[in-house]
Amino acid sequence: MAPGRYARTAGLLTVILLAGVALTADALESISLKLGRVAGPGWTVDELESRLVWRDAQRAALLLTATQARLPEPLGTIGGLKLDCPDALIAADELACSHARLEFSSERIGPQQIRTGFRYRFSDRRLQLDLANIRLDGGRVSIKAVQAAHGWDLALQADGLQLDALAARLAAAGILPVLVKGVGTLAFSAQLKGTAARLDAGQVSARLQSSQFSDAEGSVAGENLELLVDATVTAHGASWGLSGELSVQQGQVYIDPVFVDATKTPVHASTRFDWHPGRRRISLHSFDYDQSKTVRLHADGSLDLDAPAPLEVLAVDVEEGTFPGLYNTYFQPWLNDTVLADLHTEGALAGQLHWQDGRLASARLQLDGLTINDREARFGVGGLDGRIDWAGQGPARPSQLAWEQAQVYRVPLGRSQLRVESAGSSVHLREPARIAVLDGELQVEEFELEYAPGAASSWHVDGILTPVSMSDLTRALGWPEFGGKLSGVIPNVNYRDGELAVGGMLLVRVFDGEVTLSNLRLAQPLSVVPRLWVDARASNIDLETLTRTFSFGRIEGRLDGRVDELRMESWRPVAFDAAFATPPGDKSRHRISQKAVDNISSIGGGGLSGAVSRSFMGFFKDFPYDRLGLSCRLENGTCQMDGVAPAAKGYYIVKSRLLPPRLDVIGYADRVDWESLVSQLIAVTRTQGAVVK
Amino acid sequence: MKTLRIPMTMLLILFAAACVTINVYFPAEAAEKAADRIIKDVYGEQPAPSQGPAAEPQSRLQPESVPARYRYSLLDWLVSPANAAADLSVNTPAISQLKADMEQRHRQLAPHYASGAVGMTHNGEIDIRDQTLIPLKDRNTVKQLVAKENRDRGALYTEIARANGHPEWESEIRQTFARRWVDNAPGGWWYSSASGSWKQK
Repeated sequence: MAPGRYARTAGLLTVILLAGVALTADALESISLKLGRVAGPGWTVDELESRLVWRDAQRAALLLTATQARLPEPLGTIGGLKLDCPDALIAADELACSHARLEFSSERIGPQQIRTGFRYRFSDRRLQLDLANIRLDGGRVSIKAVQAAHGWDLALQADGLQLDALAARLAAAGILPVLVKGVGTLAFSAQLKGTAARLDAGQVSARLQSSQFSDAEGSVAGENLELLVDATVTAHGASWGLSGELSVQQGQVYIDPVFVDATKTPVHASTRFDWHPGRRRISLHSFDYDQSKTVRLHADGSLDLDAPAPLEVLAVDVEEGTFPGLYNTYFQPWLNDTVLADLHTEGALAGQLHWQDGRLASARLQLDGLTINDREARFGVGGLDGRIDWAGQGPARPSQLAWEQAQVYRVPLGRSQLRVESAGSSVHLREPARIAVLDGELQVEEFELEYAPGAASSWHVDGILTPVSMSDLTRALGWPEFGGKLSGVIPNVNYRDGELAVGGMLLVRVFDGEVTLSNLRLAQPLSVVPRLWVDARASNIDLETLTRTFSFGRIEGRLDGRVDELRMESWRPVAFDAAFATPPGDKSRHRISQKAVDNISSIGGGGLSGAVSRSFMGFFKDFPYDRLGLSCRLENGTCQMDGVAPAAKGYYIVKSRLLPPRLDVIGYADRVDWESLVSQLIAVTRTQGAVVK
Repeated sequence: MKTLRIPMTMLLILFAAACVTINVYFPAEAAEKAADRIIKDVYGEQPAPSQGPAAEPQSRLQPESVPARYRYSLLDWLVSPANAAADLSVNTPAISQLKADMEQRHRQLAPHYASGAVGMTHNGEIDIRDQTLIPLKDRNTVKQLVAKENRDRGALYTEIARANGHPEWESEIRQTFARRWVDNAPGGWWYSSASGSWKQK
């Protein structure tokens, strides 16, 4: 608007002066006037001179000069004013000047040589004013203004405005934030219509091309950007109808924290809304946003800017959301402090979201072939389809989810389906779910989830785990492979305040015996440092199968044991109290091979001692034993070791029978570094072990 | 005699109490050593770091008026030396895992420390100092790295305190690390003071 007001004021000034001169200089061939200072409300012109040379009855050459003019804001002060109109029409019904030149030097917009022309009709007081070639911010602006009885029209055309200069001007006026870098050009055209001081309708088209721009904090920035804007405004009584279209086909934009690469994913947005300045209300008729390969949505609603919750109603229809674009661009930046911070995503979703009085009132989402994989490999799901239906109030709504495959840490879950019902802040199962876990199945009879905004969620599961092959599970976990089955009744799994507690018991049938796991608790399961507590009992383990599996060297017999208060951090044990030994009164055959003896004696710093000398041992492949066992209490990285019975300066790991051949294995080290114990065990079970000669 | 016995008993109780209190003081020097071990591993091969300010004297954390050299002998006498010369254990699986993750992440973060885009904060974390120094397309990636690094650093401080049986040491460990991250960093990197103003090393 600034150039328009400028033009109108300058035009008006010229007309008034011309009219005054024309009335008094009727019979002269030429007239020169020195008017000195001319002043009006808010403006003064110093040393104003005019010279009029008549060519015929109606035509004259006009020259108007002034040394300085102080004009109302935002025009400021101009100097060296010169208006040269070589062919002015001065008739009874009109004044006109078609090819005039206006020269001046402005403190705001520098020296100017403007092509100008005007026409004024006395009969209907119609004034037309053209100003072309106004130099502004490295570009050119032209103005066409018409003032008539019915109102005014203003057409503006600007080309090649330099972004840095323009931004500095707008920042000085408090319209835009200060740009620190801004290389680019702006072109625009505008058509405005109005009556008196009021704008009735307007239309603006602008094109911004910028190789680089940024504000001081870098929170709004762009590179190689090409942006097109079209906007119209129409007055409807006390309100305004606005519509606009924005298109970014090229370049990158960063509006903290959203980054859009428009070269790869062009953006088109359009909107239509009414603005009621008196009531401070916005009625959003439509907002359409389309970013290719990312999201296409439509929204409408209303806002009351004076209300405590300005958002009265908003309905958003996500017609298509495409991954990974949607996650990478619009979800991830807000999820940095959550477990969803770094996901690989694929697939698509659609949905309808409805806000009422500032709160999400209902949501409906359709998931289509979604893949979500945590890049830290903690969880993942593939081929996720489903329909989520949620409402803050009213009757429960059914939702369902189905996936082709999923994984929790390294444990794969097979194709499964969940049917749930949600109401308010709770979700529960509509029918028992069966979740495939390797070759077994987790049968979930009950599931209840409670969540509250800003509070930790909690859930509860009742289920049964049908037998899962240990060979599959151990392979999945990357452990040494062994046979057996894992199953369990888990009647009471609770998750609350970041801690998962498993009631009931998990049973592992392994090595012909049983291992039961109880008091299983898992804290911060998906955090950086997950912690696990569990108590384990082993009974009647067949040592032959066990030692064969781990190629430890053959031991025959049975083994009972316990691991109390096992604590794992980041899935590695940090503390436990464990003891394994031959069950009392065990009637099975008790034999231990040379290799096993050698392995036992080589780990844990134990010493080998026996009634039979080493050289003599070579005659026997294996030895009978009475009892064997070992205990370890792990704390602070150190294992406090003990055996089945005390021995001189040590403890018996293997205690012989009374009858020969007799062999006792005695451990002397009572404190062993856990890490080295584990690495020795691994070394022993991986190699064939030394042969005792 | 009786009048003398009561103050003697009181003195003994005081001694015993002092002994217990001293024993749980934060081992500042050991913490700095432990921090340096971890930080040097995370930073990897660096140009020789400048020598930081001298280790915080342990006596500062001990409000008693007993001079430090007497206190040590007192400690040795009352508690077994192994117990008193506390070393900070940083060899738990969780700490090793965190350290390994941080080492790996550091390779991605290092150029941003050097450019001044990312700086070290006074509370032992890192923050975006000037995002205009990061190419537009990388800004969210760097923000993600910063968030993950801070998550891991927070967990590391908690873990060290836990692993040494003193969860209440966490904030002191954090403060120690905050100093040592800066002291071990090469010149040119940025760090912030408690007031939030940035300085270049």
